[in-house]
Amino acid sequence: MALADTHPSSSTAADWNVGSILLTAALTVIIMVAGLAFSVAVAVVVYMALELILPDITLLNAVLVMVLGVAACFGYFWGTNQLLDRIYPPRGDNIAANLIKANAIRPWLFLGPAVVILGIYLVYPVINSIVLSFMGPDGDTWIGASNYSWLAGDAAFRESMRNNILWLVVVPAAATFFGLVAAALTDRIAWGNFAKSLIFMPMAISFVGASVIWKFIYDFRAEGSDQIGLLNAVVTAFGAEPQAWITVIFWNNFFLMVILIWIQTGFAMVILSAALRGIPEETVEAAIIDGASPFQIFMRIKVPQIWGTIAVVWTTITILVLKVFDIVLAMTNGQWGSQVLANYMFDWMFRGLDFGRASTIALVIMAMVLPIMVWNIREARKDM
Amino acid sequence: MKTSALVGAMALALTTSTALAGSHANLKFAPGEDARFNWASYEAFAAANDLSGQEMSLFGPWLGPDKDLIESVTAYFEAATGATVNYAGSDSFEQQIVIDTQAGSAPNVVVFPQPGLAADLASKGFLVPLGDEAAGWMVENYAAGQSWVDLGTYTDKDGSAKFFGFPYKADVKSLVWYVPENFEDAGYEVPETMEELKELSDQIVADGATPWCIGLGSGGATGWPATDWVEDMLLRTQPPSVYDKWVTNEMAFTDPAIVGAIEEFGAFARNDDYVDGGAGAVASTDFRDSPGGLFTSPPKCYMHRQASFIPSFFPEGTELGVDADFFYFPAYAGKDLGRPVLGAGTLFAITADSPVARAFMEFLQTPISHEVWMAQSGFLTPLKSANPETYANDALRKQGEILTNATTFRFDGSDLMPGKIGAGAFWTGMVDYAGGKSAADVAAAIQKEWDAIK
Amino acid sequence: MESAVGSRPALWWAVNLSALLLVVIWTLPTFGILVSSFRDADQLAVSGWWTALVQSERNIITRAQPPVEAVEENGAWVLRGNVFEDGGEVRAFGVSSRAPTDFQPGETAELRRDGTVRIEADGSYEIVYSQQPDGKRGQRLFVTSLENPKFTTENYETVLFSQGLGQSFINTLTVTIPATVIPILIAAYAAYALAWMQFPGRALLLATIVGLLVVPLQMSLIPLLRLYTDIGIGKSFIGIWLAHTGFGLPLAIYLLRNYIAGLPREIIESARVDGASDFDIFRKIILPLSFPALASFAIFQFLWVWNDLLVATVFLGNNEEQLVLTGRLRELLGSFGGDWEILTASAFIAIFVPILVFFAMQRYLVRGLLAGSVKGG
Repeated sequence: MALADTHPSSSTAADWNVGSILLTAALTVIIMVAGLAFSVAVAVVVYMALELILPDITLLNAVLVMVLGVAACFGYFWGTNQLLDRIYPPRGDNIAANLIKANAIRPWLFLGPAVVILGIYLVYPVINSIVLSFMGPDGDTWIGASNYSWLAGDAAFRESMRNNILWLVVVPAAATFFGLVAAALTDRIAWGNFAKSLIFMPMAISFVGASVIWKFIYDFRAEGSDQIGLLNAVVTAFGAEPQAWITVIFWNNFFLMVILIWIQTGFAMVILSAALRGIPEETVEAAIIDGASPFQIFMRIKVPQIWGTIAVVWTTITILVLKVFDIVLAMTNGQWGSQVLANYMFDWMFRGLDFGRASTIALVIMAMVLPIMVWNIREARKDM
Repeated sequence: MKTSALVGAMALALTTSTALAGSHANLKFAPGEDARFNWASYEAFAAANDLSGQEMSLFGPWLGPDKDLIESVTAYFEAATGATVNYAGSDSFEQQIVIDTQAGSAPNVVVFPQPGLAADLASKGFLVPLGDEAAGWMVENYAAGQSWVDLGTYTDKDGSAKFFGFPYKADVKSLVWYVPENFEDAGYEVPETMEELKELSDQIVADGATPWCIGLGSGGATGWPATDWVEDMLLRTQPPSVYDKWVTNEMAFTDPAIVGAIEEFGAFARNDDYVDGGAGAVASTDFRDSPGGLFTSPPKCYMHRQASFIPSFFPEGTELGVDADFFYFPAYAGKDLGRPVLGAGTLFAITADSPVARAFMEFLQTPISHEVWMAQSGFLTPLKSANPETYANDALRKQGEILTNATTFRFDGSDLMPGKIGAGAFWTGMVDYAGGKSAADVAAAIQKEWDAIK
Repeated sequence: MESAVGSRPALWWAVNLSALLLVVIWTLPTFGILVSSFRDADQLAVSGWWTALVQSERNIITRAQPPVEAVEENGAWVLRGNVFEDGGEVRAFGVSSRAPTDFQPGETAELRRDGTVRIEADGSYEIVYSQQPDGKRGQRLFVTSLENPKFTTENYETVLFSQGLGQSFINTLTVTIPATVIPILIAAYAAYALAWMQFPGRALLLATIVGLLVVPLQMSLIPLLRLYTDIGIGKSFIGIWLAHTGFGLPLAIYLLRNYIAGLPREIIESARVDGASDFDIFRKIILPLSFPALASFAIFQFLWVWNDLLVATVFLGNNEEQLVLTGRLRELLGSFGGDWEILTASAFIAIFVPILVFFAMQRYLVRGLLAGSVKGG
């Protein structure tokens, strides 16, 4: 991966020839491999040595493994940096040339592990999916674009697309909005930290737990018997008929979205609260002196300053929404018109055992994030 | 990466030994003591197999009490051979087995709760055939042996049919659960025919009560209880040959025979007077909660059609045969289709061949491997050489009789269909039907989905 | 001045009340489950958790002692007992499911077969047969009673004392801690490189990483497990650490780069002028300054790994040495998963550590931010 990216013709160092680029690239890889091999080897040796001395206790073993695992990771960054400084020492006669050469290599040493891991864990599966999307159910018969044409005519897919777009519009907006409100409010009150913890709590609950919790909200019992779902208890208290909420076509989508909003507001709140606190006091004080009301200060002074962070939160939640399937799987499994793309893909993968079609749906999910990617490239360019 | 060998070495060093000693302890029934058990088969198997120190992984959907039960059976295999069986159960069994087989990290033996998934995996070449000998043994030794062999026979990667799945543990689905004393209080008799059952339902309505509790809710699997209803009604309105054609889609879902069976189910489930909570409550009531209506005061309903496993969800302390009982979901007297029974069976299949795995499949042929579970709970077997005396209670024995007295025995059709239909479109269709869509529309939607995967 | 003084308390109330409202709404669902987790399983299934504290009227069915145990008294055969196990008050009773509330306490009801029954308000009953009865099946008694709320710690005991929970706890920690620290470390270096170092292809790389955020996890599971099996890692802790690292990296890099890029340029430039290498700048300036961002990502990654079930079921075995907490709790639910009372309790046990971590990290979050703003300002 590192090799491929050092080649672009738009290279800033125009005076470099191909030979020196190749040399730099080769040296980068060698240093990375040496650093990694060194730190892993040390970790393994230490593990073996301590294994002999230490008593065989699972807890101790677990701690040892953890410490060594993390240490090996530290060791890589330290080791490669040392190695680079040995090869191109930032002192002596060639200090200027050495610094230029070292600076060409160092970013890749910093990025190396991330690029390698991303390559293995995410890029490789994506390529795999692209190939599979042209394959039949067994994964090794070439069937051309028929998975795509099937998808275009599939009613369940259209339903999932519609629902996904609903989710994409509602959930990030609502979660960011509530997160911003929560951050603003809790920063101003004495029991702010306590309030934050309570609003954050849903984040700490697994999806399995969350679906149980919401069962006790949406549960439906026939009219006349005691309701154990809170929503129906409220509704019947006002004299209306109880509803089987998650089966109400179309509106059930919103009942499911509420769960994700409930979970993600805590995320938005934590990030936005940090951003709000980072706003320099002076700008706010100036506004207070000008006689601006607290609401005005918030909307006109504070919000624009954290606009970047709001965008990050929005993006993150949007991407999470595209991937969400646990809630839908646990609550309705896409029945009653509540199918979403991620769950539909899951369905084809494990119930349909058709990896070709599942991959095709996965690619659609990935394609939907394209506008966000474009926007982020623009933002990144602006920074540079 | 070049360092992968190192990483692998480290990983190897991290993995601790999984061997657990002391397999001879905790056998549920001491060998040789209780004369009801076929100890001779145990001794013979022990004498013929010595696999000391070898290990085998067994993976299935059973958790909790079911896990204890299967482990009580494998304990005998361990004691007899000296091998170790590592059973692991998972709630997300279907996904995990797909991932593990695809990734090449499959366990030795897998317990499939549904033949559909086993057939899918067999067609992808992930199952190891058990051989003609095993199939021949089953024809000989299981009641209605050929139908069981058929249940475990699938086409492999090359398209030839082989025997892959060993059916072990059966369930009877054509049961109606009721509270005998509620029947006594109201003066109702257990119906012998479908006509009588319908009369009784009308009678209960006339008396101002509700005859049925029906719940289709099951989280992501919502709708499946209705598929059992439809299958049972199909067997009671059409000859078994129709059923066989239907599960392979030789006969389309839209055939009037199938639509008729769906409507037969609707005659119960879509009748507001017949079901507790009204027809609207059927789809959203959880199947685990729905039998509860039998036991309330006054009873919310008088009858509940469900498979033999449902007593697990009866209120705590319910004594079968006293507080609750069951009768055979009767057939139409006027149709002359005999006594059809709908059932299900779990299948054991080899996913990673080894001598222990082979020996384990052989162990499942011994009467003792069936009797140990029969003597505990929730286990029916078609194995003729297993002693019915070992059934833990009368309820099980009675279910065993329903199984053996059946003139027609058919397996749960939705389990036999491809997963996308039998565990997908069929469920969704039934939910839609319970919600008010017409049977013809629902059948057409399911057929369309089926066409899409052909 | 006056208006400012006048508006302050009003504002104070408005802010506090709105915050309170928000907190109540957000806590209510969880609170419901907390209450439910202490309730008796039977009551849980029939009444809402908000009724947990009030007495409830319930129709119960109990079985009297078997007729064979009747004792002869004055020429009749008598059975005595109490319909309640731990107290209650009878409002009405009956002897048939058709008419379960026909009789008032103290009245005498005729049994269908020979005999009479009388139930008092305190639940004590007396059944009188004129002839010696037989049969082992006790008479059913239908009682409408006023029941006191019942609370129990049994649900928690079931979960906490279940076999292997402690080992699963250790397993989860073994998975979670490195799977939190490793991605942060790797991502922080990468984020710094993306934010402050010059190299060709930087924007493209960043965009690719953002794009990778959306790769559905399910797509990666099978190719990766196949890879693991092929190179011999198999199902091991190393494998799951790297998997969680891989899945968490895009978000980590995205969040951290965003934060690190926002740090004041002057600090980094002046350090460079002083001759500090990028490695030193990262270690001595960036790491301390970006502590709040590191802490907040650490919280999210920790929660994600702690609550994960899917990745753990795929990359770890189902055995004693590797089963994680979520997997263990899932096992407790049984094959049909109908035990809500167990689920409620286990949800709370699983939530305990993440909340503790959040409280602990929250302090650092604030402190780090203050330090950052002082230096930054």
